Amino acid sequence: MSAPALALSGVRLVHNPGRSDEVVALHGLDLEVARGEFVTVVGSNGAGKSSMVSVVSGATRPTTGRVRIDGRDVTRLPAHRRAGSVARVFDDPRTGTAPELSIEDNLALAARRGRRRGLRRAVGPKQRAEFRERLAELGLGLEDRMQDPVGLLSAGQRQSVTMVMAGLVAPSVLLLDEHLAALDPATAARVLRLTCALAERTEAAVLMVTHNMQHAIDVGDRLMVMDRGRLVADVRGPRKEQLTVDAVVDLITTAGGVVADRSLLAGTEER
Amino acid sequence: MLTNIVLDSLVTGLPLAPLTLGVYVVFRIRQDFDLTVEGSFALGAAVAAVLLVAVVHPFLAVVAGALAGAAAGAVTAALHLGLGIPVLLAGLIMSIGLFSVTLHVLTGPTVGLAGAETIFTVLGVTGDAGQVLVLAALVAAVLGAFALFLRTELGLALRASGAAPAMVRSQGVGDAQIVTLSLCLANLLAALRGALLVQVQGFADVNLGIGMFVAAIGAVLLGTLAVRPSGSRVLRIVAAVVVGTLTYRLVLVAALRFGLPAADLKAITALTLVAAVAVQRYGAATLGRAEPALPAAVRQ
Repeated sequence: MSAPALALSGVRLVHNPGRSDEVVALHGLDLEVARGEFVTVVGSNGAGKSSMVSVVSGATRPTTGRVRIDGRDVTRLPAHRRAGSVARVFDDPRTGTAPELSIEDNLALAARRGRRRGLRRAVGPKQRAEFRERLAELGLGLEDRMQDPVGLLSAGQRQSVTMVMAGLVAPSVLLLDEHLAALDPATAARVLRLTCALAERTEAAVLMVTHNMQHAIDVGDRLMVMDRGRLVADVRGPRKEQLTVDAVVDLITTAGGVVADRSLLAGTEER
Repeated sequence: MLTNIVLDSLVTGLPLAPLTLGVYVVFRIRQDFDLTVEGSFALGAAVAAVLLVAVVHPFLAVVAGALAGAAAGAVTAALHLGLGIPVLLAGLIMSIGLFSVTLHVLTGPTVGLAGAETIFTVLGVTGDAGQVLVLAALVAAVLGAFALFLRTELGLALRASGAAPAMVRSQGVGDAQIVTLSLCLANLLAALRGALLVQVQGFADVNLGIGMFVAAIGAVLLGTLAVRPSGSRVLRIVAAVVVGTLTYRLVLVAALRFGLPAADLKAITALTLVAAVAVQRYGAATLGRAEPALPAAVRQ
């Protein structure tokens, strides 16, 4: 059997080690995600979800432990050197795009993700045709606005463009860090559909962090609950299909999460 | 009178454009300050002058001068990346250090060309008009090449890197690569401007670079105000550089022509800068231009 697309072994992340303000963000995390597997990740604030995303993307280096992508040890590689196999969609739609640049320039930047950049023309007729086609699939009319700066787009449009960008070079691992958080419910639902289509097409291992329990239940093959730097539940297959928002909230709170979170967490059902 | 002012602005302004472009790269695109350009400007002039006196082919001398500047930029990048010195401070250190380097290159405070071949004599061009044409052609070639570069994959990464660093990193572009690229380019252009100036004025001086950074910032601000360049509008970037440089010269030349003593030129430069920033900041509502005048890193 080939190596899993993503494997974390004993990943521990400690901020300010040895100081009075020492914080253990991840407590020896072990995790394997297969190619094409879609994992949703939930947990209260401070559970370590974003730390995990950060460690996988390379933005943060774990204190101890190993990160492997497609069997290759990438623990020591900085974010830009593993970009060829990791696509990341940020929670803030403004972070994932260059606002001053046109839509087509943003796409062109992503079309060379993790590859050597040389003195070839960034946007030629061939690229433009491909970008047009991909944008048209969004059904937002953005294919006719390819010269517009991305800064003019709404948050939902920008996050949709980011989805297209993430798929231009098929990643082994797709990281979605609360990427729907800034969107209104209807837009979030639309971008979530894009997300699922993207996951299916690229066959990447997907980690989707979300605070929306319903989203976490509705999509993906596997639901993980994190709490204080640990993986406290890992539900897959038929059991995942039977999950309800209440059940997930139970998983989070019984793990020792702050009980006061309960009402807030359950409240996300209506969102 | 008016035609004289315009002509003077063209003659003295056009050769300045490469420097303005170099400063534009770091100031507007990278949203940072690189003071190395003052040092590499004088260094480029010195290297070109010494080579011209040594009867090296004038075009080779220009290329060598420009490359000396690029090397200086590489050292600034190394200081920044290796020791974590902010670019602003690293450039300041370099501009001071390069003063001594330039003195050594010149083996004295000034070197006169005294009848040595220049790009103009090689081309058989004499007179002011001919010189302006040659310079205009050279500057157009440099700006054109740069516009083409900005449209390449690498140029695109450079354009995105200042305003969206996290995004550019997540797309697989390393900070080190882009910082080095931008500083080498900026100083290559500054030194090129020095190497060209030497041929026009017939001598190189160790003090040539002083005040050049602020002058170029003034030109960039004026150009930004007039043309409103933005990341994906490459031709506007080049246009802003040309318009900014010429407008800046126009202000100075006009001030001189209207009888202001040369000693007051520095004050005019300062006032021009302040006015440009003020218009950008407070003219935003009336002109519909909400863009901030200064890089984010500086405003905080």
